Amino acid sequence: MLEIKNLTKSYGDVLALDRFSLGLKKGEVLGLLGPNGAGKTTLISILAGTLRDFTGTVSFDGRNLFADRSLKNRIGIVPQDMAFYDELNAMDNLLFWGGLYDVPRADLKRRAAEILELVELAGRAKEPVKNFSGGMKRRLNTAIGLLHKPDLLLLDEPTVGIDVQAKVSILEIIRGVGAAGTAVIFTTHQLAEVETTCSRIAIMDHGRILAQGTLDELVRIVGERDIVEITGEFPAASFSEALRAIAGERIELLSVADNLASLAVGATEEIPRIMDRLFQRKLAVTDLKIKTPGLETVFLKLTGRSLRD
Amino acid sequence: MRRLLLILGNDVRRHLKAPWAIVIFMIIPIAMTGLIGIIFAPRTEGNELPPIPVLLVDNDKGLASKLLVSSFDVDQMKKMFQVTVTDEADGRARMGKGKASAMVVIPNGFTLDLLDAKPVTLLVVKNPSEQFLPDVVEEFMNTMAVMLSGAVQAFSDEVKGIRAMLDLELDTIPWETLGPEFGKAQKKVVAASKYLNPLLIGLKEEETKAAGARPQVTAAHLFAAVLPGMAVMFLLFIVQTLMRDLLSDREDGKLRRMMTTPLRPLELIGARIAGGWVMGLAVLLVMVAFGTLVFRVGWGPFGYFLLLAVVAAFWTAAFFALFHALVRNRNQAGALGAPIILAFSLFGGSMLAPEMMPKAFRAVGVVTPNRWFIDGAALIRDGRFPLASLIVLLVSGLILLALAVPALRRRVSV
Repeated sequence: MLEIKNLTKSYGDVLALDRFSLGLKKGEVLGLLGPNGAGKTTLISILAGTLRDFTGTVSFDGRNLFADRSLKNRIGIVPQDMAFYDELNAMDNLLFWGGLYDVPRADLKRRAAEILELVELAGRAKEPVKNFSGGMKRRLNTAIGLLHKPDLLLLDEPTVGIDVQAKVSILEIIRGVGAAGTAVIFTTHQLAEVETTCSRIAIMDHGRILAQGTLDELVRIVGERDIVEITGEFPAASFSEALRAIAGERIELLSVADNLASLAVGATEEIPRIMDRLFQRKLAVTDLKIKTPGLETVFLKLTGRSLRD
Repeated sequence: MRRLLLILGNDVRRHLKAPWAIVIFMIIPIAMTGLIGIIFAPRTEGNELPPIPVLLVDNDKGLASKLLVSSFDVDQMKKMFQVTVTDEADGRARMGKGKASAMVVIPNGFTLDLLDAKPVTLLVVKNPSEQFLPDVVEEFMNTMAVMLSGAVQAFSDEVKGIRAMLDLELDTIPWETLGPEFGKAQKKVVAASKYLNPLLIGLKEEETKAAGARPQVTAAHLFAAVLPGMAVMFLLFIVQTLMRDLLSDREDGKLRRMMTTPLRPLELIGARIAGGWVMGLAVLLVMVAFGTLVFRVGWGPFGYFLLLAVVAAFWTAAFFALFHALVRNRNQAGALGAPIILAFSLFGGSMLAPEMMPKAFRAVGVVTPNRWFIDGAALIRDGRFPLASLIVLLVSGLILLALAVPALRRRVSV
């Protein structure tokens, strides 16, 4: 359905997207993970048609996405900003934003009522949006993107700054939309959201996809190894230096910062060797945790930094 | 077009849901006009006008002209008019110095032409710096013209006799025949007023180019002079507020979202300019209606005024479209917009009557919409078509629009 090839975009000297390529099928929910500045929002903006001056191609069902304005009727956008009119009620907002698409007026009213049910705002349809909580506003923001039944839905961090209940509600909506056949690209910082919602995950940094696949496929990148997280009192450089002699296939330093390091180990038997080495170098350890590998480990391995960076 | 109307309708709905900014901008000029009227209108005892200074020039010195001159000499008229009889040269010199509200010139041959039932014209020279008093003189002279015309027509037979006698020497007049002539005339007096057309005496109006303004107006006429200036000043404020959406939508991310839909930039720009225009016009007309109902302001022919209001609102929308295309953000728009509007209003005559301003101010005022709107409204009050105001506002508005659209298109195309 969507085919992105060699998309490149820079802001001055900063390369935001670097020959970015990606394909997406109907009904697929793709979680796009990346640290700040990875290029996620740039990608969404280009696909939404609000960013120009890039190279590469994007085709949608075989047609150039940017050459045919009518294709915009098939794409839904849920921006990071709460982009609607606070002084209007939810129904009026839906009718206005939906009206900008080529949806017949009668269908639009019916569809607006349905979508308000879906996002659980039907009871507040006639209330000014300025009275809504943050979670309700996020749900309305999502509803506007879904109103015209798009074939491709782009969501830019749709769960930022809301409570758990609202977050669960929005993630359920995204799953439901995907199940109904809409292709979804969904950017987030939250690993757990991607794990539970997406059928495919892509990890990107510096404008490129580092790895993509299902959760299991990605975890296999780290291998059948345990993850050891060490907390203590040590400079990052000293920690790296201490482990250099024993690092190899069975002990891999995934990431290190002052007083915190993550390692992948082939077996728990390797842990005493690590501790001996740190003790010899007089590096104090205050805590040690053993974890099974997950998306966070994969992310750390691929990007060298956590999502919070 | 459908999307343009959708955005326009949505903007109107939004501003009606939160109307306080507009309502306040409507109330302020009305309240200010009321205050100015109350404070500055002259207050004479019993709310009566002071005697109106009138210059009377009798170039005829005949029977009818003397009758006309003497009509100012009765007690009731003396309360209303302070008449100075003079010659035309002196009268024009005095009018040039603004020494009188009006000058009435009775032409040479007035009496004979009148008695011969030929149309004659009285000249009323009005002081343009006074807004009401010259009109009173004109109205009085109109009444006198109607009365004299009617008298001549109703007494046509008797007038023929009198006309014939005017050519005779005094000692040859057959005095014994005059009694019956006047007896017949008396019977006609009662019904005379019903048959006054066509008038034999017409009035010609003229305004001097006098300096030396001496405003003498009542509160009602002060309202009429002040309200257009106030209305156009607050029209500028209101349209600026309405069109700030061009910036706020951009800053809030709504513009970006709009541009993800099939909406074209030109449709959005058109909707926003049309919105400023239509809503500005509506607000202006509400202020006008309020002025009419509350202050009893007479605006003149409504069709002319509506045309002027449409063009003024268009100019304002075009101006603020360009303004919002050039400023960076809402804060800058707020900081720059108010001083610009106040400068327009100061130089354009919304705050101070143009004739009370220094020449330099008046010259600057020509580039403001306020000046052209106020001048146009004054002409319409006199029943005249404000052609110059309409042309200037329309042409300059179109130029502003031509500059604004491409500039806004660059801002809208995210």
